[in-house]
Amino acid sequence: MKRGFVAALVVAFVGLALYPTVATGYGIRFMLQLFMWVALAQSWNLISGLTGYVSFGHVAFFGTGAYAAGILVTTHGWHWGPASLVGGVAAVTLALIIGYPCLRLKGPYFAISMLGLNEVMRVLVSYFEGLTGGGSGLSFPAQPVSVQIYYAMALSALAVTGAAYFIITSRFGLRFMTIREDEVAAEAMGIDTARYKLYAFLLSAFVPGVVGGLSARDTGYIEPISVFPLIITITMIVMALFGGKGTIWGPVLGAATLFVFQELVWARFIYLHQFLFGAIIVVVVLLMPRGILGILQQRYHLPRTI
Amino acid sequence: MQAGLILEVSDVTKRFGGVTAVNRCSLSLTPGKIYGLIGPNGSGKTTLFNCITGLERRDQGEVRFKGERIDGLKPYQVARRGIGRTFQIIRIFPELTALENLLVVTQGPFEAARRRAEELLRFVTLDRLRNEYAGNLSYGQQKLLEFVRVLMTDPELILLDEPAAGVNPTLLNELLAAITQLRDQGKTILIVEHDMKVVMGLCETVFVLDYGEKIAEGPPGVIQTDERVIEAYFGR
Repeated sequence: MKRGFVAALVVAFVGLALYPTVATGYGIRFMLQLFMWVALAQSWNLISGLTGYVSFGHVAFFGTGAYAAGILVTTHGWHWGPASLVGGVAAVTLALIIGYPCLRLKGPYFAISMLGLNEVMRVLVSYFEGLTGGGSGLSFPAQPVSVQIYYAMALSALAVTGAAYFIITSRFGLRFMTIREDEVAAEAMGIDTARYKLYAFLLSAFVPGVVGGLSARDTGYIEPISVFPLIITITMIVMALFGGKGTIWGPVLGAATLFVFQELVWARFIYLHQFLFGAIIVVVVLLMPRGILGILQQRYHLPRTI
Repeated sequence: MQAGLILEVSDVTKRFGGVTAVNRCSLSLTPGKIYGLIGPNGSGKTTLFNCITGLERRDQGEVRFKGERIDGLKPYQVARRGIGRTFQIIRIFPELTALENLLVVTQGPFEAARRRAEELLRFVTLDRLRNEYAGNLSYGQQKLLEFVRVLMTDPELILLDEPAAGVNPTLLNELLAAITQLRDQGKTILIVEHDMKVVMGLCETVFVLDYGEKIAEGPPGVIQTDERVIEAYFGR
């Protein structure tokens, strides 16, 4: 079972690495967006799936990364690669500033504070026109770099999934889960929960920042409403929940399944996909709160690594 | 401060709004003994535990562990100093396996921790269930798991909040034997318990709380005939 799984991973890895040599432009852009959603859903999983601190504002890190990278590229002439990495650093910096007060809040209060953060960031970005272009946004150079972005997105998805793997399979990482399981007991057993929550939060902010920068470069244009919309947060949450929060492969599975599904439906029925997306949220929360992988793990006693 | 005490609670008071849950309470514990903390429901036993372990901030008074002030420390800092505790309502990590529940609280080298965890699981006959999610264990098994989890960090002082509640008689005897064994290894143990047979059989000194105040202290035999204690439990 385990060996078959590893073999499948290797095949998928090689296949995806070679894919751009045979793919159409549409195929590459489709896949790079899929990777982006894997990276986002997995990042959300790090804080919310593992420590149980549900973030309703994770798009704030995406948008912050997009703007940090956007400003560097458009006004300072940076290459999009390093600019996106700085986008990640900017997101982590924001997480550090906001995490200290917000992670003291519990349950819905934390969720709402994160929602507020996203609104604040969007307004701030609109307000400082000189830096951000305000409501008229920022435009990137026109020449397409989709293939490079494809690999950068794939690497981002891989990096954050690797982080999830390390956390879920190590003693260091199990401490993150004790926060979700019982924060009081974890404290009483000598685990510095405040520190571990902050670690998880910073980790969960970095890749969305990077991916924000990459996505901005790929789209070619950003404005406040395009990089700080609530729907991005909701989508990453739904993907992680659908696949199985708190697992390694759940967010990957959820992001891939729902993104393909969304693309198929969206191409045919413009409005139906939003309706179906809402329906999926309801079904997942009501019938399978553990997600696909969570259910499989529970039923067949699979190890955490699957 | 008296020399040689492992835990010294002096004049600790804790209020919740208008309720004084713990009222100028003082306890002195010398190492290597088993102490009992009893009192009617709502007399402040668990609150006092929480003030010692840092889960509640005391309003007045001092708590010293091995001579050093620990009131004001965070719970994890208190735990790292060497005070372990269990809870009245079981607080294991349900979606971690039994083995992971024990491993996750350790700090030192991993292999040593793993050996210790396996040893303790065997000790409470949960080794067969090491890879089972703790939430799937029975109530009694969870209770045992929580008990051995405290031992993983090798604390010098162990606070047990109703260890006997809901445990069947066979298991209870093993648990009591284990507690005595810990005492023989030099650990100090403070037990909150409603089961008087357990308290009277195990403890060398018993503290009695009523309405947050310590109303009596002494060997079990003396406590049983103390008028204020009888009054607190049965009324005048």
